[in-house]
Amino acid sequence: MGKTMIQKIIQRASGKEVQVGDRVWCKIDLSTARDFGGPNCVLQFDEVTEKGKVWDPDKIAFTFDLQAPAHAEKVANNQKIIRDFAKRQGITKVFDVNWGIGQHVLLENGLVKPGDVILGTDSHMNLLGGVGAFATGVGNTDIVASWINGTLWFRVPETMKITVNGSFARGVCMRDFLTFLVGKLGADGMFFKAVEFYGETIEKSSLADRITLCSMVTEMSGKVGLIMPNGEVLDWLVKRAGTEVLDRVQTLKADPDAVYSEDLHFDVTGLEPMASCPDAPDNVKTVREAAGAHIDQVHIGSCSNGRFEDIAAAFEVLKAANFQISDSVRTIITPSTREVMKQCAEAGFIQKFLEAGVIFTNPTCSLCTAEHYGVLPGGDVGVSTTNRNFIGKVGKGSHTYLVSPMTAMASAVKGVLTDPRDILK
Amino acid sequence: MEQNVLRGKAWVFTDDVDTDLIYHNKYLAETDPKKMAQYSFEYYPGKEKFAKEAKPGDFVVAGRNFGTGSSREHAVYCLKELGIPVVLAESFARIYYRNAINNGYPVLFVKGLSDAIKEGKVKDGDELEVNIATGEIKDLTNGNTFHGDAVTDLEKDIMASGGLIEYLKAQAAKK
Amino acid sequence: MGMTFAEKVLGKAAGYAVKAGDVVTVEPHFCMSHDNAAPIAKTFKKIGVPKVWKPDHLVFILDHAIPAPTDEHAVNHKEIREFVEEQGIPHFFDVTSKGGVCHQKMCEEGFALPGLIIIGSDSHTCTYGAYGAFSTGIGRSEMAAAWATGKIWFRVPESLKITVKGKFNKGVSAKDLILKIIGDIKADGADYMSVEFHGPAISEMSLAERMTLCNMGIEMGAKNAVCPPDEKVLEAIRGIEKTNEWEAIWADEDAVYAKELTYDLGELVPCVAKPHTVDNYASIDEVKGTKIHQAFLGSCTNARIEDLRLAAEILKGKEVAVRTIVIPASWRVYRQALDEGLLETFLDAGCVITNPGCGPCMGNHEGILAPGEACISTANRNFKGRMGNKDSFIYLASPMTVAASALKGEIADPREVL
Repeated sequence: MGKTMIQKIIQRASGKEVQVGDRVWCKIDLSTARDFGGPNCVLQFDEVTEKGKVWDPDKIAFTFDLQAPAHAEKVANNQKIIRDFAKRQGITKVFDVNWGIGQHVLLENGLVKPGDVILGTDSHMNLLGGVGAFATGVGNTDIVASWINGTLWFRVPETMKITVNGSFARGVCMRDFLTFLVGKLGADGMFFKAVEFYGETIEKSSLADRITLCSMVTEMSGKVGLIMPNGEVLDWLVKRAGTEVLDRVQTLKADPDAVYSEDLHFDVTGLEPMASCPDAPDNVKTVREAAGAHIDQVHIGSCSNGRFEDIAAAFEVLKAANFQISDSVRTIITPSTREVMKQCAEAGFIQKFLEAGVIFTNPTCSLCTAEHYGVLPGGDVGVSTTNRNFIGKVGKGSHTYLVSPMTAMASAVKGVLTDPRDILK
Repeated sequence: MEQNVLRGKAWVFTDDVDTDLIYHNKYLAETDPKKMAQYSFEYYPGKEKFAKEAKPGDFVVAGRNFGTGSSREHAVYCLKELGIPVVLAESFARIYYRNAINNGYPVLFVKGLSDAIKEGKVKDGDELEVNIATGEIKDLTNGNTFHGDAVTDLEKDIMASGGLIEYLKAQAAKK
Repeated sequence: MGMTFAEKVLGKAAGYAVKAGDVVTVEPHFCMSHDNAAPIAKTFKKIGVPKVWKPDHLVFILDHAIPAPTDEHAVNHKEIREFVEEQGIPHFFDVTSKGGVCHQKMCEEGFALPGLIIIGSDSHTCTYGAYGAFSTGIGRSEMAAAWATGKIWFRVPESLKITVKGKFNKGVSAKDLILKIIGDIKADGADYMSVEFHGPAISEMSLAERMTLCNMGIEMGAKNAVCPPDEKVLEAIRGIEKTNEWEAIWADEDAVYAKELTYDLGELVPCVAKPHTVDNYASIDEVKGTKIHQAFLGSCTNARIEDLRLAAEILKGKEVAVRTIVIPASWRVYRQALDEGLLETFLDAGCVITNPGCGPCMGNHEGILAPGEACISTANRNFKGRMGNKDSFIYLASPMTVAASALKGEIADPREVL
């Protein structure tokens, strides 16, 4: 019987033939922690091991993105705990406050290959499935266990197969498909499962789109969304992570007769811009239906939609609006990494955004953490490309619409929730 | 009373209670589990005073997908430190589930609980009796009963050791 | 007998001749507040006057913690927006790319004008003396009273005349001069006084440099600090004046001063103010090699385009050894730095470039220090705990010294890398 990708990945990592439902111990390729969660890992590790040595300093990385640069004493101290630990343990992969969002930084630095088993203290770690890695968010105890033994247990999940065909209409993008999917399947629609994405829409998609797609698997309670790199994404990845990527793509792709728990087909032709309305990601409507809603702030960024392509899409909308945004909203763009920020500078985007009144921050998780840029006061309504909109998530008593970068910028232009097709004529 | 039989008051929550509602982002910089308890459910509308008012031995009762969202272990620590002996839910989000097991913190999967909550069959303040060995749950206030499934497989062994780290230590000692 | 700048400006505003020691009540031309407009508004409401005296004389500029990093800041900002709406205050700089650090904006936007009396609920309001204004920081209650009555009383200050001549050597700048002066006369050396900068070297200085000098007037206890409203000032304000009530006023040649000092720029060397006081002067040779954990290029003191250029020249093509946070003083400065390729230089060097605002200067966000950490900073205060942690250490220095130190990970002499 054929195997799915996740089965093959777990087999490679565990050295065992596995079936769905098995609990197996997997070798960890990279165990990471951020400035959030990281200090908890360090303190716990030191306590449990009485300041012992980690299993392999080369397979551990730290990223600083949640609160970078530090916005409070406690945060500063937490970051120092990590820096001191890394120094003591000889861990050199420390991506400090000047790098950006962790998963993106790991990708850009060639630390992620298809089939890698990667841990992180970030529930959106699994966006690395966008290049075929089995990355997953875990708590500090799991991280500590991996630092001791280099292994961690997993239940081999069922795999859901999703095939996506068709082309997006102008003003519509992968994020809209995701929002649609969250509405369709619900907040627990991928419960504990791995998901493989196929179809022409996926094959043609950019790395940024794959990141969006796989990051939002978390919002449907999936374990990981997987896309085997092809085309330009594959070229990009080989350049960053080396030619071993090519072997992995061959050996770890799903068998043609692999068994899936579900086999779903979608066509994005005719899909409209979508919004997750307050106060839950699966409270989905078309932007058309919700258009005109009052908003106070627009935010473009996050691990889901903070890549260059995302910002470029927002730029297109702003351009179509003659680089004018509404005075009644505050608009904030946060690139995901320093590399992305530089791309934006080189493309001349930042200058134009600023001219229009948009604020451009340093790369970080920004608003998503509710402790950084643009916390909303009670009663205010935000439009955001982040991935969660539970009540109060970004400020006590505030509400959020989750949308695509294009819808976000269209809303900034009009000062109310707006369908980008109204601007991109 | 038998050691496995617990009694306490129910604090009832909806489906999809996310980690920000259990333990908000705002307090993520905290590293001392003991200090996390005070922030439990501070952002959950209507349950802002949970941390002050819940008594050790009270139960958290929720619908589907409890603990969805972030990987923060804070969301397990805070309830554990508050003395909530077990979380009863229709289902648990993946990372929350792992984090609970890894800390030897009991969770029971209770079929039908989501609907029961929506239908008012278990309400805030109900007196519950929970047998964590058999999974039998009685709502003493209105007589309704539920059945919860404890964890199985490897998770059961980890729970029995008291958590992942203790489990690994025990495994290492065997070798 | 001749008059000082302070005597002339306050006398003009009072409508009669005054001398040092007199008490006058005057109408301020502008009242500047930043994020603290929210608590001031609360005090104002207690007074019982429904409307502020002149809405267009109030200027609100959000800069202390933007975009809001916490619930509390978010609510604070919202209260200001509501007050602005309610009172019809036209000069409001919200969280958009039109804003920046309040003192920078006051100068860029044509509020800081020669001969005006400007009060601000921030101690570094004295910065506008670079444009020939009489500007001074006041407390919140006094500001609330000024909004209600349109009046403020001053004791006409005695004046300190500082004459500056000569030329800077390579690697030395206005920040080194002001740190040297404060080191000499100490933190209370100009208490209550009006500090006047005179001499050919001041005329040579850019407005950016003059702003650095005047900005730090408060660090020697001064009520205000001021430079002559010369051709450079008139050129800078042309077309942007927010009022036509300004007048180029300067001290008489034979004015009487409480104290006079003279400095020769050629005698200065790069320097720092060591922890934990601004007057704790040390020449670069005394502190060279001190380990640092963070470098901060920002604040109302030294984050203008001229400052960024000096730092970028040192960082170009190199990589910083410690985390280095660059915060341009305003979005206008940010955009110019972008146009000139400076921001790319900083990004390539590994710096963090945040959105303009006060950043970590007073411990609000964007670079708080951990216990035991040391930071070299272009800001104006190094008090214990200023950047958020009482067990951290702040060294104040020029943009060039900060950039050189960022490259080495320890306090370094900019002359060695230039």
